[in-house]
Amino acid sequence: MNETTRYILFMNMEMTRKRGEMYRSIRSWLDERGYLEVFTPSLSTHLIPEHSIANFSTRYLSEFRPSKELYLIPSPEVFMKQILREYQHNIYQISTCFRNDEQIGDHHNPEFTMLEYYTVGADDEDSIAITEELLRETSLKGTREHALPPFRRMSVAEACMQYAGVDLLKTQRVGDLRQAALNLGLTLPPLPETWEETFHRIFLTFVEPNLPQDKPLVLTDYPSQIDTLAKKVPGKPYRRRWEMYIAGVEIANCYDEELEGDTVRAFYEKEYAILCEQRGRDGSVIPDIDYSFAELFDGHFPQASGVAMGLDRLLMVQTGATSLRDLILFRGSDMMKHYY
Amino acid sequence: MIKAGQIEKGTALLIKGQPFICVEREFVNPGKGSAFVRLKLKSPSTGQVLRETMKTQDNAEEITVEDVDLQYLYNDGENFHMMHTDTYEQIEVPMDTFPDYQFFMKDGETYRVKTWEHQVLEIVIPPKVLFEVAEAEEAVKGDTVTGATKNVITETGLSVRVPIFIKQGEKILVSTETKEYLERVNK
Repeated sequence: MNETTRYILFMNMEMTRKRGEMYRSIRSWLDERGYLEVFTPSLSTHLIPEHSIANFSTRYLSEFRPSKELYLIPSPEVFMKQILREYQHNIYQISTCFRNDEQIGDHHNPEFTMLEYYTVGADDEDSIAITEELLRETSLKGTREHALPPFRRMSVAEACMQYAGVDLLKTQRVGDLRQAALNLGLTLPPLPETWEETFHRIFLTFVEPNLPQDKPLVLTDYPSQIDTLAKKVPGKPYRRRWEMYIAGVEIANCYDEELEGDTVRAFYEKEYAILCEQRGRDGSVIPDIDYSFAELFDGHFPQASGVAMGLDRLLMVQTGATSLRDLILFRGSDMMKHYY
Repeated sequence: MIKAGQIEKGTALLIKGQPFICVEREFVNPGKGSAFVRLKLKSPSTGQVLRETMKTQDNAEEITVEDVDLQYLYNDGENFHMMHTDTYEQIEVPMDTFPDYQFFMKDGETYRVKTWEHQVLEIVIPPKVLFEVAEAEEAVKGDTVTGATKNVITETGLSVRVPIFIKQGEKILVSTETKEYLERVNK
């Protein structure tokens, strides 16, 4: 171990102690409220297809059976929803998740820790109250006001109107949103793109950097064009999904979970087609998927709301650190720097 | 053409017919969206700042530039004064086009400069630069809150957070991208 590695380790030991403290408080808070802690694998034979999340694969080798490609989980959802269907009870897990192809930087690392909790009988609205209570009671001592409840709330449409002057209700057609982006001075590629892609250009350039940071912000009602396993709101162009930002950093994502098997199957088909098309071109990992996942939603899957929270980022904002560099031991880029 | 994901700090691009230099680049990966880069671009001639968000797969028009070697003489607070090493011709480069470069460039050293139609588009700074510690404050013992670091000033005036064991006169390697301390060099 060289001098610099030793120094980085030393720097991060205080953060390691705080991380342990944070995990213990979160666990005991959830345990006291009757959530069962579950433990599921890091390697899976199949994943939920999500074209925006690149995957890691590895190969299981055995003398006695054919080898098999396995995938490192980008989230424990694929297992936790199976437990939820059988157990019909509140569950949670703190697990390591893996996302490939992400730029390693202040807010990204290819492996990170996720807290995922599902509340049975609850919807996305209830999850806001639960999450607010969770942060109120488990935040580390010394956490500054901007990272503590109460939460601010704003819908995605309100934020787009306020910070970009774009009326999402009036720009539901691809061409209209494209025109709005051009009016804002954005450079768009000549080829047509999806509504979702143009939305993200506007959102990331004008909205996200300007979101209020004096309190945690819950951004609600995500456009339905961004396909997820969150329920659609009937008659409205959005879903029952929210994201929480603290200090401008995405910390948590919540769904009112989709319950219709046909909708889940259609999501699988559409996402997998996009994923295969994109990754076939660039040669990145195409995970196996299992359509029988849709059979979990057979009318007996409980009404539930799930929240996924990035604990490395949460620790970062609670301690006032500005980069994951300050709290992750053996960060990907530190390990890999000698290979480039 | 290059992919937007390959744009780096210092890449020269032609946007709506005008040359721009990338001065900041940040990768953003929304939870449920494709990978994007958020760019801050600056026009070397007018100083105009442009903010663009591009998908990493978008194409961008890169400018073909001419490379020349220029010796850095000094700065007067507004311009960097540089000299062609073969013709001794001197040129001025506005400092606000290359923010913080005065902290990375050392007087008398020669830098590769990229020009396009006689405009200086980029001064190539190595990703890691060796500095001498000109000023170092005394370390405060037992201060674990800041993780046992302190500030030092390099001979170019750059302030860097370093481990407490670094002393005045020692050589340290600093990342010019992040302005972070990398390691002590004992030579």
